[in-house]
Amino acid sequence: MVFDKKEIKKIVSVLKSGGLVLMPSDTVYILAVNVSQKRAVEKLQNFKNRWIGKAISVAVTDLEMAKDYAIIPKNEEILYSHLLPGPFTLISQGKHKLMRGIEAEDGSLGIRIPDNKLILEVAKKLGGPISATSANLSGRRPHYSVDSFIKTLSEKKKKMIDLIVDGGKLPRNKPSTVMDIRENQMKVLRKGELVTKNSQSFISNSERETQKIAQLVFNKIDKPIILGLSGELGTGKTTFSKEIGKLMGIEEKIISPTFNIYNDYGDFLHMDLYRINNQAEIEELTFFKIISEKKIVCIEWIENLGKNNLAKLKKIANLKIITFDYIDEKTREIKI
Amino acid sequence: MKILAIETSCDDTCAAVLENEKILSNIISSQTDLYKEWGGVVPNIAKQAHMERIDLVVNKALNLPLTPSSKKRGNWSDIDVIAVTQGPGLAVALGVGIDKAKELAKKYSAKGGGKKLVAVNHIEGHILSAFFKNKIEFPALCLTVSGGHTKIILVNKIGDYKIVGETLDDAAGEALDKAAKMLGLGYPGGPIIERLAKTGDKNILEMPKVLRDNKILDFSFSGIKTSFYYKIKDLPKEKIAKNIADYAACFQDSVFEQLERKFKLAIERYKPKMLLASGGVMCNLELRKRLRKMAKNFDIKIAMPYKKKLNTDNAAMIGLVAYHKAMRGEFVEDIDMLEREARLRL
Repeated sequence: MVFDKKEIKKIVSVLKSGGLVLMPSDTVYILAVNVSQKRAVEKLQNFKNRWIGKAISVAVTDLEMAKDYAIIPKNEEILYSHLLPGPFTLISQGKHKLMRGIEAEDGSLGIRIPDNKLILEVAKKLGGPISATSANLSGRRPHYSVDSFIKTLSEKKKKMIDLIVDGGKLPRNKPSTVMDIRENQMKVLRKGELVTKNSQSFISNSERETQKIAQLVFNKIDKPIILGLSGELGTGKTTFSKEIGKLMGIEEKIISPTFNIYNDYGDFLHMDLYRINNQAEIEELTFFKIISEKKIVCIEWIENLGKNNLAKLKKIANLKIITFDYIDEKTREIKI
Repeated sequence: MKILAIETSCDDTCAAVLENEKILSNIISSQTDLYKEWGGVVPNIAKQAHMERIDLVVNKALNLPLTPSSKKRGNWSDIDVIAVTQGPGLAVALGVGIDKAKELAKKYSAKGGGKKLVAVNHIEGHILSAFFKNKIEFPALCLTVSGGHTKIILVNKIGDYKIVGETLDDAAGEALDKAAKMLGLGYPGGPIIERLAKTGDKNILEMPKVLRDNKILDFSFSGIKTSFYYKIKDLPKEKIAKNIADYAACFQDSVFEQLERKFKLAIERYKPKMLLASGGVMCNLELRKRLRKMAKNFDIKIAMPYKKKLNTDNAAMIGLVAYHKAMRGEFVEDIDMLEREARLRL
């Protein structure tokens, strides 16, 4: 999905004039309005047949913009930086800068930073948040293509949409997980693709969810990094690494490196220390040479590196340890 | 044509000498009493181990003396071609074999020019390992299964291959090795699994049937690995010990079931004139039996390496590939330029 400047400009101008825009997001199709405009918000509420007391979450560009509209104490900030951008809506205490109907009756505000360039760019150009409510009529299922949504609408409703931005068929991602994080209570109000126990611990119920968690980690990588993966056999370390490789644009099949110890994909290195028994072997692998000059290195069974080598690695590289634990046969806890 | 072949793609250091398609010697470090003669310690993976072993293995393959007191003598001047595994494999290990091959090719120059060097793909070696003493008809379909690879390859003729199915995650041999570890049998424990499975009841655990889609010829073993782990992880040690043969049988059966099922699909799709099966896991007699039965049902001939040593990593198979490449004139043009290719594709 690539949109050029002209299209973004058009979306922004429709939003500025109080219009309603149907557009794609990182999860489902959304209905966007400029939430700072009363008229625009009312139009959205009318469209969704929405009870005014029920809140509508907003998309912002970053934590700074979120702080303009909500009270976000330091401890909540950590959650923002860990979970967003990503498939989460975090509920914080609003600053009452936005009208009721956007904020909930208790003054709380649902905030998203979507993992979607188009929305972020639009909010940036607009200079404020836009509504990020899923494109459906209240109580109905979300939609993954423009057609499927339009079909459900009456002629009158169709006319209310001022601009349709067609992003084609979206992958069937679930809507975001909605969490009330005020006073660190971490209450999950709607379960989406990913569920988190706290800011650094995720629950994965499937291979797909493990991939989603990998995406979340990948999105936060801004400099060369070594991801040390630790966990039992079959907890998803290889699935996780494969997704990281895929996100880096590796097109060939990424398979378990257990046998070869490591597979080199250019900027990406996938290593598995499962078969390593002693420190001398690490040296003979020329471990520290191999991992340098790589953008992202995934190392499964990082614990087999040994205490001294691990300490050395921490000193010289940007190392992040991710642990994988079984909860039950289908469920894993992944700490990032 | 006399060929010296060197293979160091993974744990074993291997060397072999062939005369055309006939094996004269086939030395594999882990399967010889090299260490008794030499008295070294044996680390597993690393480069150092290959470096320590390579001269011994090459000399033994050439029948040269291992120690100054020994009298045996081979003849270097007999060798026409030096063959070496270029990849895929563990990069640092591959490097040892390649460096040695380069060194030898230059050192023992025959009448001015160096000895000719042939670079070989390890997977092609596994395919051709079934060709020794067998007459192969084309197109053939090859199932090669080892600790590092699980592939179905369409062999149109020697040198013309197409991978039609391969693992998406773990290799089958790797999965068996890991299951052995879960059962407390050490790593790698594939062969122990085979021994235990012989007397075990393969029906005591219900293992999942993965990749049921009949259009997919690829394999996946990480799901059954996880399922197995989960089924045994909370069992008391005594119970595992008591029923260990049954657990081994269950896991082995679910690996073989998938190998058979996908190979069968590939046979139906590609209708080969002959079947080939090779790789370390093909040492397993139960798997050989099952594949023979399948071939019989299809009324197609099946060829497998005629001895165990040709199933696991070995240099003889590398030598055979080199023989065919040499016949086609496919030599390394600039010896100094030959580099390892850890992820070389077929």
